[in-house]
Amino acid sequence: MNGKKLAYYPGCPSAGTAVDQDMSTRAVFEKLGIELAEVEDWNCCGAAEAENPILVYALNARNLAIAEKEGLDIVTPCSICYYNLERSNIALKNDESLRAKMRDIDGSLDYKGGIKARHVLDVFVNEIGMEELKRKIEKKVNVKVAPYYGCYLGRPPVTAFDDPDDPILMDQLIELIGGECVDFSYMKTKCCGGPLMMTRADIAFEMAKNVLEAAKRAGADCIVLACPLCGMMLDAKQPDIEKALNIKIGMPVIYITQLLGLALGIDSKKLGLDKAAVDTKEIVGKVV
Amino acid sequence: MPIKTWELDPNFRNEIMNEPGGEHLAACFQCSTCTLGCPITEIVSSYNPRKIIQMSLLGMREEVLSNPDLWVCLICQTCTARCPQDVVVSDVLSAIRRIAEKEEEAGKLKIESPRPLFDKAFLHQLEKYGRLYDIGLAKEYYPKKEGSFIKGMRAMMKDYKDFGMRMFKKRKMGPKAMFPEKIKRTDEVKKIFEKIGD
Repeated sequence: MNGKKLAYYPGCPSAGTAVDQDMSTRAVFEKLGIELAEVEDWNCCGAAEAENPILVYALNARNLAIAEKEGLDIVTPCSICYYNLERSNIALKNDESLRAKMRDIDGSLDYKGGIKARHVLDVFVNEIGMEELKRKIEKKVNVKVAPYYGCYLGRPPVTAFDDPDDPILMDQLIELIGGECVDFSYMKTKCCGGPLMMTRADIAFEMAKNVLEAAKRAGADCIVLACPLCGMMLDAKQPDIEKALNIKIGMPVIYITQLLGLALGIDSKKLGLDKAAVDTKEIVGKVV
Repeated sequence: MPIKTWELDPNFRNEIMNEPGGEHLAACFQCSTCTLGCPITEIVSSYNPRKIIQMSLLGMREEVLSNPDLWVCLICQTCTARCPQDVVVSDVLSAIRRIAEKEEEAGKLKIESPRPLFDKAFLHQLEKYGRLYDIGLAKEYYPKKEGSFIKGMRAMMKDYKDFGMRMFKKRKMGPKAMFPEKIKRTDEVKKIFEKIGD
């Protein structure tokens, strides 16, 4: 990380369903004294829908090249964007012929392999560090949390920055801010079903329901997560899941950036906590 | 049912391995770790990536490409993370899906799953605007999936009326979300799609 500045890649959901994740990410970094410079004219990473790796590399080469010109590492709050940015970064860094192929497509894809792509969770714990965060914590958030990591933080191995089977980085942050992690290890890294939402909603709903009900059974006050697709499935669609499967859940779901922001003393509205589909007032009420 | 050896296509494995992402197919030694850890198998009992890979290696081209289970992979990477042979299982399956899509485009196969339509509609938004435009995606996808504009709009309303109202009330989606967020240099992104395709 180059001093106190990072290139910021918000990802497409930042303009809509995950505007709260974007707001809280910006607010937390501001409070931590790290400047986020939005990647100028960034394009979509290809998400899970671009299946051809060469297409993914090209889409991400453009974003990497823009950040590289500024000499900044890229940070993103989205797990899927992180996976696409970093796997492209690694593939391009290690393969001159692939870089040449990118240059042949367009000059704007001329990425030389000089930066890193990071997920916000990785930056919080492994770059800023627990000691520094501890010094900046102003409040205790006395909340029982089901830490939900989903897919792209601990796997695949090529881009992972946490354990594939029992990731711990969010657990550490939750404990740091005075929260308690409920027993959730068997569900932590299960997929939320999001990638099948538009083509097999029946499967997607079933998978999301499993995560939500596991958190409820474990006695959690809320689920904390780090991916906007998980956020959409588990929070924004939670009322649709309840209606379709004729069940009642009512499980608040918040982003790790929102939880950390509360502990840093940032106003809950500035963190977008009023935008969640499932009310988060009880969580905000546990800030002491 | 026994395999009809005279119907096998010995070149199928090379066809997959020539697709980007399909390279590692032949390293599979059939241990089934991919299938045992797969979350989809808990819901779709027929789902078996190990078997799809074995059938591919044997050259059961037609059976593999017409298998509806190809389209329920979540790309969650659990199989890839656990494979002892470093087969990037999710990339291999995606390579097989792209071959199936080409077969359909050539009129040789009918894919029942709407997933190729969704992926294409998604990528068309990127090609046009550089970023995802949710409404543009829904307006392209639903009519194609349902077979007509009216049916598509009806299905979209059924799926997204409550959701849309909820997002509007929570001010996650305002009037701005009605229009695409277009990047400045869309020509650069268009070139990517022109040269690579989707």
